[in-house]
Amino acid sequence: MILDYTRCKHASIAELEENSLLVRVAVEDTFYAAEVEMVVGLPALEVTSIKGKVKRAFSDKCQQAVPLLNEVVGMRVGSGIIKAVNDLVGGPSGCPRLADLILEGFNDVILRYTMPPLREIVPLAGQAQLEAYQVYLRKSPRLVGSCIAFAEGSPYREGLEV
Amino acid sequence: MLSFTRTKVIGVESPKENILLAHGVLDDNIYAMELDVEVKLPDFEITGIQGRMKRTTTAECWKAVPKLGNAISLRIGEERFISKINRGVGKQGCSHFANLLLECCDAIRQQAIYGGWRKLKEKDASLSKESFLKEQLKKIPDLKDSCLLYS
Repeated sequence: MILDYTRCKHASIAELEENSLLVRVAVEDTFYAAEVEMVVGLPALEVTSIKGKVKRAFSDKCQQAVPLLNEVVGMRVGSGIIKAVNDLVGGPSGCPRLADLILEGFNDVILRYTMPPLREIVPLAGQAQLEAYQVYLRKSPRLVGSCIAFAEGSPYREGLEV
Repeated sequence: MLSFTRTKVIGVESPKENILLAHGVLDDNIYAMELDVEVKLPDFEITGIQGRMKRTTTAECWKAVPKLGNAISLRIGEERFISKINRGVGKQGCSHFANLLLECCDAIRQQAIYGGWRKLKEKDASLSKESFLKEQLKKIPDLKDSCLLYS
């Protein structure tokens, strides 16, 4: 079967020397292509600059949403960010697909910070891994109940008071 | 130096009239997984879903696969669709499966909205994009106010 539609979305986080992250997200699909590039300052995880392009879209009108990207400068990656980005960049007068690229980048910033502890824990086996996860959950209570691995009844939750 | 990358690749095909089938792959430094999602038009109902986890972080993650079934019979674009997926497939299962499923659903929706343009334009060279978009808005009413094109 020949595909009618294809999409490739790629996000990357690069470490900049000046205590910040360079977050790049690009999407290319059958009807649309766009990219967003943000600098996120550390340790506050605050967006200090953003630029982006709609490179191809069904309608030329979609270009009108690009200036809305500036609304994100000053935002911090944290609670409430999804609604803020969807309201200010997506929504009736914006472009939800540009908002989605920003949120993809923010999600990947969070994943970048979950990676170092996982790099230590995942190679462990059996009881050693179980205990390492229990310590990790105590340090990161936001993860408790966030997925089936950390749901009630999971061995990783044993002995953990919530 | 790069410290993290994530790539998602989606393909959508139409094996039968009014059926769209998406195959999605997610691969990043931590996770790798894939999904097959079947959606029935015109109501965008999820009628089938299968998934596979290839690289995960815990011995419990595989238990998220049956939770994909929580998406069956939901309709893309229905009220609180994203929240329902994030809760039923994500929180009760795996948030990365939910993320990939939403990507597949959005791809299906884009194909359903714009996929007919080329054929219609070939049939009627005078067809404008504006009138095509108006027709799509009639067919898919929840597009209204979804972005600056439909406001």
